[in-house]
Amino acid sequence: MIGLRNGYQEATEAYQLPRLVRLAPNLYGACFTLMKLVPARFILRRAAEAGLLTPETVIVETTSGTFGLALAMQAVHLDRRLILVSDPVIDERLYRRLTDLGAVVERVPAAAGAGVGGYQAARLARLAQIRAELPASFCPEQYTNPDNPRSYAAVSELMLEALGQVDCVIGPVGSGGSMCGTVTHLRTVVPECRAIGVDTHASVLFGQPEGKRELRGLGMGMLPANLDHRVFDHVHWCSASVAYQATRQLHQRHSLFMGPTSGAAYQVARWWAEANPDALTVVMLPDEGYRYQDNVYDDGWLTEHGHHQVTVPTTPTQVDHPATASGHWDTYDWHRRAYDEVLTGLDTRPVSAR
Amino acid sequence: MSKPVLRYLRKVHSPPRSHPAGAEVGVGYAPAHHGELLQGVFEDSTGQLRRALVTLLVPDRGSRAIFHPSQDHWGVVGTPELIKVRRAAILALRELSTHPTPAKGGQIEITSDIPRGIGMGSSTSDVTATIRAVANYHGVTLPREAVGRLAVQAECASDSIMIDDRVVLFAHRDGLVLESLGHRLPPIVVVGCDTDPGRIVDTLRFPPADYHDDDLAAFRVLRAGLRRAVATDDVALLGRVATASARLNQRFLPKPNLPPLLELCQRLGGAGVQIAHSGTVAGLIFDARQPHLAHTIDQCVEGIAALGLGLTAVIGADQLTAGWHTAGPVATHPGVAA
Repeated sequence: MIGLRNGYQEATEAYQLPRLVRLAPNLYGACFTLMKLVPARFILRRAAEAGLLTPETVIVETTSGTFGLALAMQAVHLDRRLILVSDPVIDERLYRRLTDLGAVVERVPAAAGAGVGGYQAARLARLAQIRAELPASFCPEQYTNPDNPRSYAAVSELMLEALGQVDCVIGPVGSGGSMCGTVTHLRTVVPECRAIGVDTHASVLFGQPEGKRELRGLGMGMLPANLDHRVFDHVHWCSASVAYQATRQLHQRHSLFMGPTSGAAYQVARWWAEANPDALTVVMLPDEGYRYQDNVYDDGWLTEHGHHQVTVPTTPTQVDHPATASGHWDTYDWHRRAYDEVLTGLDTRPVSAR
Repeated sequence: MSKPVLRYLRKVHSPPRSHPAGAEVGVGYAPAHHGELLQGVFEDSTGQLRRALVTLLVPDRGSRAIFHPSQDHWGVVGTPELIKVRRAAILALRELSTHPTPAKGGQIEITSDIPRGIGMGSSTSDVTATIRAVANYHGVTLPREAVGRLAVQAECASDSIMIDDRVVLFAHRDGLVLESLGHRLPPIVVVGCDTDPGRIVDTLRFPPADYHDDDLAAFRVLRAGLRRAVATDDVALLGRVATASARLNQRFLPKPNLPPLLELCQRLGGAGVQIAHSGTVAGLIFDARQPHLAHTIDQCVEGIAALGLGLTAVIGADQLTAGWHTAGPVATHPGVAA
């Protein structure tokens, strides 16, 4: 009960929860080894409990990112086969790690990117083909499965127990699972808890026109069902240069060796926490820096790609519409509205509140 | 105004002055409760989900049981509404059957000042007092957890009034302590009322809440919040957890007056509102350390009266002198036999 520490039953259990590390008087970082373990472990264990993972069942998913790695780790514990369908441009180190964990990684051909719907459509088509050939398969569907946000109750639980009333949570947004799940569950106890989503330019998540994205690990080309826009009070967009520089500062100032999505979130969080000294703030730092040692953590690479030369603004630029965000660091007051409400310009707030 | 209450309480709480000549009896007492600070479904240490709750005790109300042993007869039919008391007495006798000179059967006499059917634990209190009375006759003090287990066996579901030395998350249908949250609650004063005057809830007939996955996730967070609130004496957090639990329960046994009570609580600077999840009582939670406490409680009592609701209890305000009138019935049920 109190004070008694136990060993863990398996690695994913040991790694899944973040460490809460103080970064400023009112700011804590939720430092994950691999945040996607939270939904991957929860979804697969629930599927196993529900009898959906028979020994013949193959777990399948389209991902070339950290969710795939988390699935591969949990698949080892569950002794199940895993097939991942990825873009041709999968990170080579990640690929080696996935295959070492026994996962089969299918890369759609490079030519598929030119087709209708791009890689996303090609991956989904290949996934459907694979499933049709298998006697039994299970797809975790991180973008639509409500167990994804639900799994983050464990993180809300940790924050509430360790820190008490959290006034604001800041974090990068992808599937929507971590931010929507963590904040929604915290709001059971602290309804006024603020949520600040961090995205990057040319990502469609919060209404930017889609385009080429430079920042690794952040930004999406489609809207996931698990992203409930009504959770967010504010949204920020950070450029790759801003995120990379902040990632290094997070390491230099706090010894936290994290990836660039963590850097983007840290950039927003330290500014917000300083501007709101009475608000206890937690920033989500989703994964570690090992995959980025040859770029984000390499000064030569940063200079070569022009990231060192960018002067990071001290405050974000406030924009009137999400589509107009075009600097290195922009912010928009989302006001817990639905996507359509914001993007169609339909303002349902009372006139006095506009 | 409060005089009759005090007299009743004395009658209930003091040990009997005289026993029938020559007969040795066992005496047991158990307090009332005012519903829960939290109730839901939680994982035990093995990961199994169990329905569980955290009880809010009302120490100055309760039931007293006197056990009149018999060596020559087994069970005799008793008052029908006290069937659980009879069951508790039999279970306690069975538990103590290895005692060198066990009683064979006997009679239980209950005196109680707990209102019935509104979620203040009248039945659990009767049952617990009975188990303690039987044990007391045998010169035994049963461990609190054993009393809890027997109480649940006797009445299917019990609040954890018998675990009175610490704050526990108690699996009320299994009779198990899932977690000890701490030695005592943060310093609170709770002003209680009956939210639905006249309505009687049959705790056992009321179907168990059908929680879904999002509720289970919410309960994890509430449990963590309460754990911290107890460990750090955080009344504000405790109030928030209780309020959240009360709101979640509105889907299963709605309290028609919860919204105005929440509003009253907020207006008076209270921490939150707790409820009986299978009853009709609710309580406004205040920090006992706050300035002008007595005045705030006066205002709260007035506010509750203005809503047309009856006061049920003022918990934790022993040091205050004001006499809040919370008279309840005193019932005596003699002649129940085990």
